[in-house]
Amino acid sequence: MAIRVVKVARPEKMSFGESVYLLEIVKGLGVTMRHFLRNMARQENIPTIEYPEVRRVMPARFRGCHRLMKRPGGAPRCVACYMCATACPAKCITIVAGESPDPKIEKYPVRFDIDMLRCVFCGQCVEACPVDAIRMDTGWYTMPENTREKLIYTIDMLLEK
Amino acid sequence: MSPLFDLAVAVARIAVFISFCLGLVVILTWVERKGAAYIQDRRGPNRARILGLTLGGIFHPLADAIKFLFKEDFIPDGAHRLFYQMAPMFALAPAIMTMAVIPFGPPVTIAGHQIPLQIADLNVGILYLFAISGMTVYGVVLAGWASNSKYPLLGGLRSSAQMLSYEVSMGLSVVGILMVFQSVQLSEIARGQGELLFGILPKWGVFVQPLGFILFLTALYAEANRTPFDLPEGESELVAGYHTEYGSFKFSMFMMAEYIHMVVGSAVLVTLFFGGWQFPYLADAGFAFPGGVSFAVPAWAVLSLRIGSFVVKTVFFCWVYVWVRWTIPRFRYDQVMRLGWKVMLPLALINIFVTGLVLLLIDKGI
Amino acid sequence: MPTFTINGMTASVPDGTMILEAARQIGIEIPHYCYHPKLSIAGNCRMCLVEVEKFPKLQISCNTVVTEGMVVRTDTEKVRKAVTGVLELMLIHHPIDCPICDQAGECGLQNYYMKFGLHKSRYALEEKVHKKKVQDIGGQIVLDAERCILCSRCVRFLREVTGTCEMEFFSRSDHSEISIFPGRPLNNNYTGNLADICPVGALTNKDFRFKCRVWFLKSADSICPGCANGCNVMADFKGDILYRFRPRRNDAVNRTWLCDAGRLEYKKANDYRLLTPVIREAGQAIAAAWDAALFTTALRLREAIEAHGPESVAVIASPQSSNEELFLVRKLAAEVVRTPYLGFSSLTPGRRLEDDFLIKADKNPNSQGARLLGITEEGFVRTVKAISEGRIRALLVFGSGLADFSDGETVALLSRVPFVAQVATNEGALSRAAHAVLPSASFAERGGTFTNFAGRVQRFQPGFPPRGKAKNDIEVIAGLANQLGAGWKFAGEESVFRALAETARPFSGMSYESIGDLGREARDGGPPSGGR
Repeated sequence: MAIRVVKVARPEKMSFGESVYLLEIVKGLGVTMRHFLRNMARQENIPTIEYPEVRRVMPARFRGCHRLMKRPGGAPRCVACYMCATACPAKCITIVAGESPDPKIEKYPVRFDIDMLRCVFCGQCVEACPVDAIRMDTGWYTMPENTREKLIYTIDMLLEK
Repeated sequence: MSPLFDLAVAVARIAVFISFCLGLVVILTWVERKGAAYIQDRRGPNRARILGLTLGGIFHPLADAIKFLFKEDFIPDGAHRLFYQMAPMFALAPAIMTMAVIPFGPPVTIAGHQIPLQIADLNVGILYLFAISGMTVYGVVLAGWASNSKYPLLGGLRSSAQMLSYEVSMGLSVVGILMVFQSVQLSEIARGQGELLFGILPKWGVFVQPLGFILFLTALYAEANRTPFDLPEGESELVAGYHTEYGSFKFSMFMMAEYIHMVVGSAVLVTLFFGGWQFPYLADAGFAFPGGVSFAVPAWAVLSLRIGSFVVKTVFFCWVYVWVRWTIPRFRYDQVMRLGWKVMLPLALINIFVTGLVLLLIDKGI
Repeated sequence: MPTFTINGMTASVPDGTMILEAARQIGIEIPHYCYHPKLSIAGNCRMCLVEVEKFPKLQISCNTVVTEGMVVRTDTEKVRKAVTGVLELMLIHHPIDCPICDQAGECGLQNYYMKFGLHKSRYALEEKVHKKKVQDIGGQIVLDAERCILCSRCVRFLREVTGTCEMEFFSRSDHSEISIFPGRPLNNNYTGNLADICPVGALTNKDFRFKCRVWFLKSADSICPGCANGCNVMADFKGDILYRFRPRRNDAVNRTWLCDAGRLEYKKANDYRLLTPVIREAGQAIAAAWDAALFTTALRLREAIEAHGPESVAVIASPQSSNEELFLVRKLAAEVVRTPYLGFSSLTPGRRLEDDFLIKADKNPNSQGARLLGITEEGFVRTVKAISEGRIRALLVFGSGLADFSDGETVALLSRVPFVAQVATNEGALSRAAHAVLPSASFAERGGTFTNFAGRVQRFQPGFPPRGKAKNDIEVIAGLANQLGAGWKFAGEESVFRALAETARPFSGMSYESIGDLGREARDGGPPSGGR
């Protein structure tokens, strides 16, 4: 879709009424008063969302916090292939792979840390994942925390989301 | 009557009027925030609650007050300690003092003693008003200089230039009123506006001096450092202007000064241009509408209608301050100066000249 | 010398050269799996098909000898179609488990699929024949039979190189797979090579398993420090951690092989490292700044020289040091300290395994270099004798250990010396007993040359800067010498090697350029010139 440039015609000189300014001020006051009265009368139409109590429903394709998917048995679906870590432009994913104790699974992530302070929410990790183990569909932003350590999400936190 | 009675009455008047003003200030801060919110399609303050009640955020001024009281009262390094501390007082004191000459109502007679509903009915009322309100600039300039910081200094300088410029127009814009009502005493001016113009229109200042009203209103906003003339604290350029370095209760004193200015400014505007305590077509005995229709009203009702009309008018103009603030953007500094000196001053002078001419013609009976 | 034409280019190659090898020499890469330059030709993968004029069918280039006037084309549609078909056949039963396969990134199947395949699978995943995965078949190797393309490189390696023949094909057709004989795991010292020669992920290295994806690794050309053979390796690292050694082809030294023990030598550069200078005073170890540590060491050496003469100071060199470092150590001992006590020991603790292929009994990479520079093992014996007689007041030791002494022997010996300074990479009994510990860079963190048992001088390159506060040995030795008033001006190993080539006869006429990637024999014989 090409960007459309709209030329707005603007008068070169203000008319006398405009240059006196008073009438324009009254018009402006009218605009603000209209807003005021409308919002006074119908408070439910105010677009403000009262955040902690009400949360905006994010669009379906919103890229939010990561989560790791589980297999039917509860083990992480992740096979520690490092594709996400390779694709990540911010280098925020740290994986340590290991031999799984479950004989049906060969390789699994011993550690899977996402540094949310570094993450740029680009979604490349989700694109890269060959087993659909990582998703960004939690529909929510990174929670604020008071230390940097708390913002390094470990595998347990990511599996819970 | 005894001097003790006079004293008691004086103290009572001061107490009542000051608490009226300060109460209005408290409510105004809430009105400003809530009004701004509704004008901008927001909800505004609605979080502070007492016993689970928010009542549209009406407790926020209380929360603010408590917050300001308990914040650390600091003095920045390098500030002039004495002047830094004096500045907020210099800002607040004149604002409160100007209240003294505002007539809240006609004089009442209690126990055979006539009591003016006015703290001090000075015969130089308007001169006093200008003298005292002219001192406000000291608080701002002092704050700007004593903070020893560049943004406050710039704010203070802007403020001094702006206040001086608009003081001139403000003074000249009311000269027309003084000429019409032939008094500088505010109680006299208020009483003078009880008459009718051409037999139908109340002889309010705004009707006899429409240009003067517009000039005065504009100058009033400039004097109170309110948008569109809030350059001394223009946050987009100067962080917070002259009170950048202030915190805690000292900051709240600046804020209070600003809001008291709004209240007193509105009261003066009402007194000069909107009939003060006059209720349209209400004489001492009762209503007397043009066309001969009249009916009597008891004296206490007349009094309360008059006081009520003053309060309502004042509150309305306080709201206009808020309304204007969220409607008109801030001027550029050169625009402020051009408006002050090249538009308002000539217009004020023309207004005086035309008023004088008209009065002369009326006097000559033409 | 037959002359032939390939893709329109004409070239002459020696008699008996196969097309694949001839093409490689002029820079044309022909895809292949089963062909390996150091193994016999099997010709069973069929990937290297090329079109040869006058031949009715496509030929496998790995087993077709170049003849006079032969016209070969590798870039025709016919060849491409054939190779793509062969690749699809190989991938029919491949599990496509690249995400968990350690070979991913250096896998022949992946590379050629991207080049020739890019086809959609025509074979449903459920219909694939499954074989046993994750089999520990002994040695350093994990076998995944499913991933195997049956190229037989491993079978040939075990038959022709080690002669142990532990692996063979079993079953037939789709179910054909390689494996070991039941109950008889891999049993030789070269198992690690199986992972290298396996073109796919069927044989992978147990030690490297799941440690790191290969595309994160960078590589430095290095020399295995594990024994006197001086096998050429590529030291793969990420950040400042070494992950593995891979053999580097050098037909004169190790061909393309590496022993299992050497493969694990990289760990020395990772574990138990000395990373900060330490001064030990009255039994209290204090981490020191480099300036202070060098100053203290030089001060104590000078005090000993002034109080008891230069004979009271001894220097023990290390065969783990490069030629350049040994040259400076000798210079320090002879010209700055002027002590007669200079020696080294090629002995190391533990069993000294040896065979007639790559593994040498001398577990040091540069004993021969030390000998060529005139540092003797006899000098070490004399020094130890002088120490045990209490005649040594200050001792400067290079290396992490003393000969084959046990920890107790080391401590007992050193307790007779009032001041011991050590320059080493790894901690041990020696570093715990030394009064000054000066940490030096590992073989992956510095450059230089080693002289192998046969007198071949080979370069090793630095991969990454020294870890922690460790410093290049050359800087440490020169710093110490300059603290003692030597006024040396050496900048980097190359300047040292130039001085070395000028003064030490076995190395005369050598330069880093002439050594190149594959090394060069030192001029043997004759006593070293001494360089005084």
